[in-house]
Amino acid sequence: MKAKATFYKKRIYPLVFMFAVTVFCILITSGLYLTTQDRAIANELSFTRRAILDAGGLAYTPTTEGIEKAYLEKVTVEDGYYTAQSSDGLRYILPVQGPGLWGTIAIMVGFEQDLSTFSGLAIVSQNETPGLGARIEEPWFTKQFQGKSSPFIFVNEGTAQAPNEIDAITGATRTSEYFRNLTNRAATDAKRIIRGE
Amino acid sequence: MAKSKVRKTFLEPLGKNNPVFVQILGICSTLAVTNKLQNTMVMVLGVMFTTALSSWTLSLLRNHIPSRIRMMVETMVIATFVIIVDIVLKAFYPEMWKQLGPYVGLIITNCIIMGRIEAFALQNKPMLSLVDGLASGLGYAYVLLAIAFVRELLGTGTLWGYQVLGSWWTNWSIMIMPPGGFFVLAIFIWIIRETIMKEEKA
Repeated sequence: MKAKATFYKKRIYPLVFMFAVTVFCILITSGLYLTTQDRAIANELSFTRRAILDAGGLAYTPTTEGIEKAYLEKVTVEDGYYTAQSSDGLRYILPVQGPGLWGTIAIMVGFEQDLSTFSGLAIVSQNETPGLGARIEEPWFTKQFQGKSSPFIFVNEGTAQAPNEIDAITGATRTSEYFRNLTNRAATDAKRIIRGE
Repeated sequence: MAKSKVRKTFLEPLGKNNPVFVQILGICSTLAVTNKLQNTMVMVLGVMFTTALSSWTLSLLRNHIPSRIRMMVETMVIATFVIIVDIVLKAFYPEMWKQLGPYVGLIITNCIIMGRIEAFALQNKPMLSLVDGLASGLGYAYVLLAIAFVRELLGTGTLWGYQVLGSWWTNWSIMIMPPGGFFVLAIFIWIIRETIMKEEKA
């Protein structure tokens, strides 16, 4: 009888206990996950829509409702790209991604009808060095693409003048180079995907 | 429960038994998330929530956990609270969630949490363990916020995202990169140990 008791205490009880704790923890986390899932998906969608609007240089109120309203009004989904109706003509918005210094950089690029003038640019995801390469997310950097046309030349920070010159980021030479290649490739991709050239 | 004991439990992690500058625990996140005050605030709230509640939960269970599998149970409970933080952030503060990236999930590896459970919660009553967990979280929090204050100010000239230093200020980019974290943390620990802790010993 005694041997049986220690067997239970040593082998069975820990197993049962661990099993119970695991089931309980999984119930809590998966319950919470399921109840917030819709919200998380909505956030993700809103984030993508916002990037599309930014790239198209379209105006919107920066709330979830504002983004949804502007998006549904102006943007049409095409095969592999988006088109948007702005006050001065049709715009083409293309998602592009390419290598960065540490990982993939994904961006949304908007074009005027000539498919080489940028109407805007938004960063979707990036893993560059915080404080250096990650500054590609800062508004001063992304805004400068607006109205400029590819192929771009990246120049020292604060010296861009010509319509194809972009301020690079000081201390992030490699990220700047990758970003230049990515934006220039976006223009050729756009011509291929949208016009079939 | 004696009031003095609660008081002592609460005050120790804030001063002479601080998890960061005395026990040198939780250094990974101290270095990683302190480049901006906002990120740091969310991170420390997550850690405080996790330490306090996992200490409390495991203290409740302490007489039932078979000692051979206690580490597994501890990890499971901590992971549950961390996932709760992650899910809530993702659903309600998506921008912040994106910025913190993998670091929310990495709260689970913060040694302070398991350290407090092993060293304190398994021997003490639930309420006292809750106080201990919360205080350890607070002790971690103020050190991180102090470091983030210095790093954000020198690194970007801003505080909480607002520009406070004028255009004459040249950003010290190194401050917001990982090496800056090492420098500021080391200087912080050095100052505290040379001044306040030395007086206490004398």
